[in-house]
Amino acid sequence: MTEVVKVHGLQKKFGKFQALKDVTFTVEPGEVVGFIGPNGAGKSTTIRTLLGIIKRDAGNVEIFGKDVWKDSLDIHKRISYVPGDVSLWGSLTGGEIIDLFLKLHGGGDKQKRDYLIKRFELDPKKKAKGYSKGNRQKVGLIAALSVDSDLYIFDEPTSGLDPLMEAIFQEEVEKIKESGKSILLSSHILSEVERLADKVVIIRQGEIVETGTLDDLRHLARSTVTLETEGDVAEMNKVNGVFDFKQTDNQATFSADNQYLNEILMEASKLGVKKFESVPPTLEDLFMRHYEG
Amino acid sequence: MKEKFSRWDILFVQYLKRDWKKIIVWVLGLGLFSAAYVPAFEEITKGQGLLGMYETLQNPAMISMVGPTPIETAADYTLGAMYAQEMVLFCGLFAMIIAVLHVISHTRKEEDLGLTELVRSFQIGRQANSLAVISETVIINVLLTLFIWGVMMSFGADTISAEGSFLFGASVGMAGVIGAGIALVMAQIMSTSSAATGSALGIIGLLYIVRAGTDVSNVGLSMINPLGWTYLTYPFTENNWSLLICALIFSIIVVTIAFALEGARDMGAGYLPEREGRERAKKSLLSVRGLFIKINKGVIIGWMIAFVVMGAAYGSIYGDMQTFLESNEMMKQMFTHSGVSIEESFTGTIMMVMTGLVSILPIAIINKLFSEESRLHLSQLYATKVTRGQLYWTSIGLAIIAGFVGILLAAGGLGGIAITAMGDSSTMNIFDFLAAGYNFLPSVLFLTGLATLALGWAPRLGRVVYVYLGYSFLLNYFGGILDLPDWFSKTAIQSWIPRMPMEDFDAPIFIAITVISIALVIIGYLGYSRRDMIEGA
Repeated sequence: MTEVVKVHGLQKKFGKFQALKDVTFTVEPGEVVGFIGPNGAGKSTTIRTLLGIIKRDAGNVEIFGKDVWKDSLDIHKRISYVPGDVSLWGSLTGGEIIDLFLKLHGGGDKQKRDYLIKRFELDPKKKAKGYSKGNRQKVGLIAALSVDSDLYIFDEPTSGLDPLMEAIFQEEVEKIKESGKSILLSSHILSEVERLADKVVIIRQGEIVETGTLDDLRHLARSTVTLETEGDVAEMNKVNGVFDFKQTDNQATFSADNQYLNEILMEASKLGVKKFESVPPTLEDLFMRHYEG
Repeated sequence: MKEKFSRWDILFVQYLKRDWKKIIVWVLGLGLFSAAYVPAFEEITKGQGLLGMYETLQNPAMISMVGPTPIETAADYTLGAMYAQEMVLFCGLFAMIIAVLHVISHTRKEEDLGLTELVRSFQIGRQANSLAVISETVIINVLLTLFIWGVMMSFGADTISAEGSFLFGASVGMAGVIGAGIALVMAQIMSTSSAATGSALGIIGLLYIVRAGTDVSNVGLSMINPLGWTYLTYPFTENNWSLLICALIFSIIVVTIAFALEGARDMGAGYLPEREGRERAKKSLLSVRGLFIKINKGVIIGWMIAFVVMGAAYGSIYGDMQTFLESNEMMKQMFTHSGVSIEESFTGTIMMVMTGLVSILPIAIINKLFSEESRLHLSQLYATKVTRGQLYWTSIGLAIIAGFVGILLAAGGLGGIAITAMGDSSTMNIFDFLAAGYNFLPSVLFLTGLATLALGWAPRLGRVVYVYLGYSFLLNYFGGILDLPDWFSKTAIQSWIPRMPMEDFDAPIFIAITVISIALVIIGYLGYSRRDMIEGA
């Protein structure tokens, strides 16, 4: 089977501002992809291009093997989408809006709708102008999760939800994942996608800077090493793969690139190791590294 | 007291800082609009001009639009008297509208946006904001008064006296203060800024229409209309200052009521009860058309009522026309000579005015689609099988139907009441009125077409269509008074269309403008189906 989403060399300009420079990634069938990047990196712009809301300047973007701009309607029959900022008509109730979305999408499941309204503890009789941010988000999520689609696109779906509701959302997405659907989940927080994602795509300033499974990415990250030697520990600063070197007396702390671990150990042993501690990398460090750039 | 208004002065200074550019444009723009036409009017008064203007402005149609004059013989008519009759009411109306928009943007709008919540968390009194805004608006209108006074005096024209100029400025400024008071009350009663703006402007519109009727039938009745306390001061002639005192007292009462209402409500709440909504959507909502009808419903119903009331108000004047003609030998001769009855002449002019106002509704419906887009309301809809074509053509369809029904209600309201008012002496039947109304259908379609063109290619310019409508309106309004070159008056779309029943129906023009309008709509669609959706702009 071919990729569900295929983005290749996507570019988009708004006036003079190059919002997307080079975006390339795929979503395979049955895969959950975490789409991560800081605010303003181009996540929502990419997603809007995928939905045919805006038109790309260059590149190849396909969903289900169809062009996202020309065949947007065919594609839309088989996808569900929740924007990051769900904005609703103040004069309609949550229940009315959910019904409207189901109808306009086609093929909504009324039972699932009622089940989700109960699960997310939404009051469907309230006018939308009285909803908080989290409640508006629930309306969008319930509408998207109540329809049967092949691809689900969530743009920062849990912003404004309390931790309990966030957990319920994760559970519901897990159910969809188990039934073999593809999911694109964008977020600026790693922990939001860590539990669900098979693959992570990191975007920064309109470019994809990292793609891979979580394990792959962990491997790429650096360990933090604390080293005490008999000889002059300052020698270590010259070794390949040593970064952020800090020294106090004969003890040094640095981050070590996992690729150069062997070389680092060999050099350290020449100096006579008295103490060696290594803290494995956290993904958070990796992301911070990309965010700070 | 201290608790309520604590530190209002900080907010007041803050508003002046935030708004200084707006204040300059407001005072200069409205001030020049009010005062700077003196030389132009001086031109008109040359030769027999003043006499002719006096007769023209004695026509009930003109009085219903611009207001009366206390002068009883043409010989006593002066430049000052004419300037006041033509300008005070309109300038006052503008001052009111701007004040309404300003007051609501700093009160209910900020409450909607959550800014008030933030401000109230500081050591600021609960009602300090309202006091600051109303003080700011009063100051602005005082500045406006002084500015108008200064500009008018600077021309040194005959009969434009210092006292009259000051009263003229003060009448316009006082209109602004009344508008601010009305807005502040509506900002308390309504629970959203759009409802507050709509209802405040609606009240002003109603006052204007009511005074159109009373000015023609019995000016005394206009004296109990708050709007009457501005233009009935008759600057340069009677200089009736006492009416401004009425207006001042009225404003103080209204503002006091607003403060009482505000003091008794919770932040974010209004006074109209909020009902519990439906759990499930009605079937009629479940389509793009159903949704668009629902979200435009308030605006459509509001305007439709306004159209009927407007038509009926103008229609009620017809009964007095013959009486007026009996009393005025010169006008009587003029009408007998041209072979057109005064009623027919009035119908042609007033239809143009009314269809101009009817155009606002379709433009608003078209512009609504872009405001929905930029407010992210449609984000989730784009990802469904709803096409852009569905969104576009549904809006167009709704707009055109609204225009069609709008004309029916305005022309029908006018005709129905006019025929009743004229009784047996009526020379026109209801179909004459409807024909005169639908004669202007192409101009409504054209303005709708302009709005769709903007929607497709430059959606941020959607509001400019209102500016063009206002421009056309003013051109047609002053066109009859000033002798404008033909090409210039033809830049207003309504100028192309003959004024039925006074003039004959022009089929080629009717068809040509309709075809151009359809072309605009199609060109607009080409843009709309291709462009990026602008979200959050």
